[in-house]
Amino acid sequence: MMEAQAIERDQDPASTVNEASKGHAMDISSLNRGVSTRTLEQEDVCIDVRNMNLFYGDKQALFDVNMRIPKKRVTAFIGPSGCGKSTLLRSFNRMNDLVDGCRIEGEINIDNQNIFEKGMDITDLRRRVGMVFQKPNPFPKSIYENVAYGLRIQGINKKRLIDETVEWALRSAALWDEVKDRLHESALGMSGGQQQRLVIARTIAVKPEVLLLDEPASALDPISTLKIEELINDLKDDFTIVIVTHNMQQAARVSDYTAFMYMGNLIEFGNTDTLFTNPTEKKTEDYITGRYG
Amino acid sequence: MSIMKETSPTSVPELDFNTPAAVLHRRIRRTKDKAATVGVGVGGISVIIAILLIFLYLLYEVIPLFRSASIEQQATYTVPVTSAQTLYMTMEEQAEIAMQVTANGEVVFFDTLTGNTVKRQSLPVPQGVEITSFAEGSAASHLLALGLSNGQTLIFKHRYKITYPNDQRVISPFLDFPYGEQPMEVDTQGAPLTKLAIRDTEAGLTLAAVTQDGRTPITQYVKEEDFLTMEVQLVQKSIELPVREQGVLSLHIGPSQRWFYVVLEDGNLDVFDLKAGAQARLADRVQAVAQGQRITEAKLLLGGISLLIGDSQGKISQWFMVRDQQNLGQYKLQPIREFQLGQAPIVNISVEHRRKGFLAVDAQGMIGVYNTTAERTLLQETLVKGTSNLISISPRADVLLSLNQAGQIQKFHVDNEHPEVSWHSLWGEVWYESYDEPSYTWQSSASNNEFEPKFSLMPLAFGTLKAAFYAMLIATPLAICGAIYTAHFMAPSMRRKVKPVIELMEALPTVILGFLAGLFLAPFIELNLPGIFALLILMPIGIVAASFAWVNMPRQIRHMLPEGWDAAILIPVVLVIAWVSIAMSHPLEQWFFNGDMRAWLTNDLGIPFDQRNALVVGLAMGFAVIPTIFSIAEDAIFSVPKHLSHGSLALGATPWQTLVRVVLPTASPGIFSAVMIGMGRAVGETMIVLMATGNTPIMDANIFEGMRTLAANIAVEVPESEVGSSHYRILFLAAFVLFMFTFVVNTAAEIVRQRLRKKYGAL
Repeated sequence: MMEAQAIERDQDPASTVNEASKGHAMDISSLNRGVSTRTLEQEDVCIDVRNMNLFYGDKQALFDVNMRIPKKRVTAFIGPSGCGKSTLLRSFNRMNDLVDGCRIEGEINIDNQNIFEKGMDITDLRRRVGMVFQKPNPFPKSIYENVAYGLRIQGINKKRLIDETVEWALRSAALWDEVKDRLHESALGMSGGQQQRLVIARTIAVKPEVLLLDEPASALDPISTLKIEELINDLKDDFTIVIVTHNMQQAARVSDYTAFMYMGNLIEFGNTDTLFTNPTEKKTEDYITGRYG
Repeated sequence: MSIMKETSPTSVPELDFNTPAAVLHRRIRRTKDKAATVGVGVGGISVIIAILLIFLYLLYEVIPLFRSASIEQQATYTVPVTSAQTLYMTMEEQAEIAMQVTANGEVVFFDTLTGNTVKRQSLPVPQGVEITSFAEGSAASHLLALGLSNGQTLIFKHRYKITYPNDQRVISPFLDFPYGEQPMEVDTQGAPLTKLAIRDTEAGLTLAAVTQDGRTPITQYVKEEDFLTMEVQLVQKSIELPVREQGVLSLHIGPSQRWFYVVLEDGNLDVFDLKAGAQARLADRVQAVAQGQRITEAKLLLGGISLLIGDSQGKISQWFMVRDQQNLGQYKLQPIREFQLGQAPIVNISVEHRRKGFLAVDAQGMIGVYNTTAERTLLQETLVKGTSNLISISPRADVLLSLNQAGQIQKFHVDNEHPEVSWHSLWGEVWYESYDEPSYTWQSSASNNEFEPKFSLMPLAFGTLKAAFYAMLIATPLAICGAIYTAHFMAPSMRRKVKPVIELMEALPTVILGFLAGLFLAPFIELNLPGIFALLILMPIGIVAASFAWVNMPRQIRHMLPEGWDAAILIPVVLVIAWVSIAMSHPLEQWFFNGDMRAWLTNDLGIPFDQRNALVVGLAMGFAVIPTIFSIAEDAIFSVPKHLSHGSLALGATPWQTLVRVVLPTASPGIFSAVMIGMGRAVGETMIVLMATGNTPIMDANIFEGMRTLAANIAVEVPESEVGSSHYRILFLAAFVLFMFTFVVNTAAEIVRQRLRKKYGAL
């Protein structure tokens, strides 16, 4: 059912931002979401960002960000290049720790625990908060081993358990039927879209609570992009999904809530439909109508 | 070309790509591109051709080693004197003039090509005395002796004076009597001497004979030099044999005048020790040929250590005295190797004057050319017409004269340049003369001509691998761990400083490293042996302990260092550990090793210790190899895409798991080729091993002993080897082996690398 709807959405010529800005009512949501009746304030909070400032050396990249990302919903971050949306996303699983000279003030609470707290197990945090990058990055191993990797590093070595999890993860990522006959071939022989879905399968195999997607489809062709979007739709029942995208149609298509960021500031965060059709901030409107970005 | 119109800046600039200048530019561009393509192609092919040429040149120098001999007949003529039997025949250095001694006491010099008599001289044999036997000192000494019917012997030398009247070489032969023209007494009873042997050295003269009545009198003259007048006095001494020998074929005296061999026709071979007192002691008695066979010919090989025994079925065996393993201090006669020439009895053996080779002829005229060290049969061919009698090889081993029973002489040209090399002598265990057992030995030259060159490449190949092994043992873990840390954990700013510094180490000339290793490190290690071992043990422990302590420091202290600069705190740690280790070297030596660890190693553990040893080489060459391995491995690890390691970290892997499971497998082709290139460098490295190994070609894996490598051996010996000699060519062979070794290693490495790359190909 989901698939049919997704194709339908994709074919809808009305779902371009420019047209939306011309005042056409965008009926992107109500049919397939069914949660849009609840407002952001009513949702259960998964990630709670409080007074967060981020510096790269002397340069401040995020300014006093406060946001509450709802549980088991899809939240999209949009904004022009360099606005800090990826930086914010990478803070959620502390991938910014890998950046030389990155310093963070404030709090990010995931499930009511500050991830910057002393004694935080970063590896466990990263298992709970999985991340998919812009460029597909399967390891130079077999398809099976790629998916099993997350389990193996957690010390799970029971073959049956791994087999089951691999199949479940690949099925969840809608990849099982395509690869079940070549599980032990190199993952590098797959197409870009398959690789990205494999990476998603690899990420969900360790049963994370949050799935961070950093422009997951920007390096892919339209059909692969479509499949990723369908997948996001399928996965949101089980995971809190945060997606960074440059593509506003994509944000509009896949997300329940959208945050607009500009120059390191969170400008507006709200229901996707509202944000695209009736933004409160002037900057948001300018952006989604294509004045800059 | 394009003109911006000032009046209308928004108009499209007019671009014309077909102006003559643009066309010309395109043509030049195309030509440049073509030239570059051709240039790169030519360069690449030239490199391949150059390598191929080196390969071919090495082969060209090496191949003559494995050629067999050839013999070509040059002349045939009848012997100048047919009135009496020829006892002996030989040639002078140039092989232009030959000499024969006849049974009637005449010496005839004749031209080897035509047979024309050059000179005839009668020996001063006393009136009424007949010649009953003949003996030859050694082929190179030109010393000959006649046994007379009055129990005496006449000793003479054939010598040649070379003059150049009218720029023409003229060789004038003459006879010399080093012990006077008067015969010397051998048998005090004056019985005719039917067999005779002579050995003359600087220390003394030994004469041995068999008399007609079956006794074996031996007379030794010890040469005593009067230290005032410098005159040589002969002190006579008679020795008796404990047994009476029957059916003696020939007598032979070894070069030390200790061993006296009595060869019996029935196949027995007796050896007597002449230094046992007034009566010689029977040292050993063996049956030298198979049951039912007879000994038909016996000769001492060049140097007089080996005895060659030819039997009635065409077999020639080599024997020499070997220390008896069961009875200490005793020697026994040991059969060493055998050669087979046809099936007919061996008639005559002629030994070469400069090499451990000989020629043999059997009754059917078949001639065989052999080399004992290489255990090589170079030629077997029936060449002699009629029934053969005598053969003689010239001093330079290039001319062979053969005399048959009918008195006909055949002159042959012999081409036999490198008989001493065979696969077996290069790579196998060879039983060299005077050795207790077969061994792998490299000993290419000595001070005398009678020396048996020992050309086993095994100790050199072993030494090469040993040096490379110890160098790699030290370099590989350090370089790879360093590369991993630098590429994966170190702060980029620190990495930018560390990497060039280590790469700079590579620019250090190895001669300086070798110099330091040989003159500073080797004695330093010898003096501070316990300290060095303490260092090797304490350093890893200390580093781990220091790192652990650092990690558990309070945050404030740790944050004094920028992240990724942690390695810098190890610098003082390393220095302090090194200082402490060396400082406690002497106290340690006092406490544990009675003040001398070297003596303790040698005496208590039985480990020999050389000052220049594999440990020194391992450290010095390891130091030379580290930058090579480090640099390539670091590049490989660093170039693993960041998105792979981030992908792994984002899944909750620790940095270590990421390193081991993702980064290292992906970088493995590069790390592997780093190790292989390092290995190639260690194998081919010359200066360090030359200066720090002691260059002793021994085969022993002991870390406290030295070695000699192929490369160092070539560097040491090429300047002193005669161009075109076997030794020279073997050095080329060593170079060829080295070349092949690196070639095979690199090819194998490349294949493995390609496989790895296919498996872990980066994205």
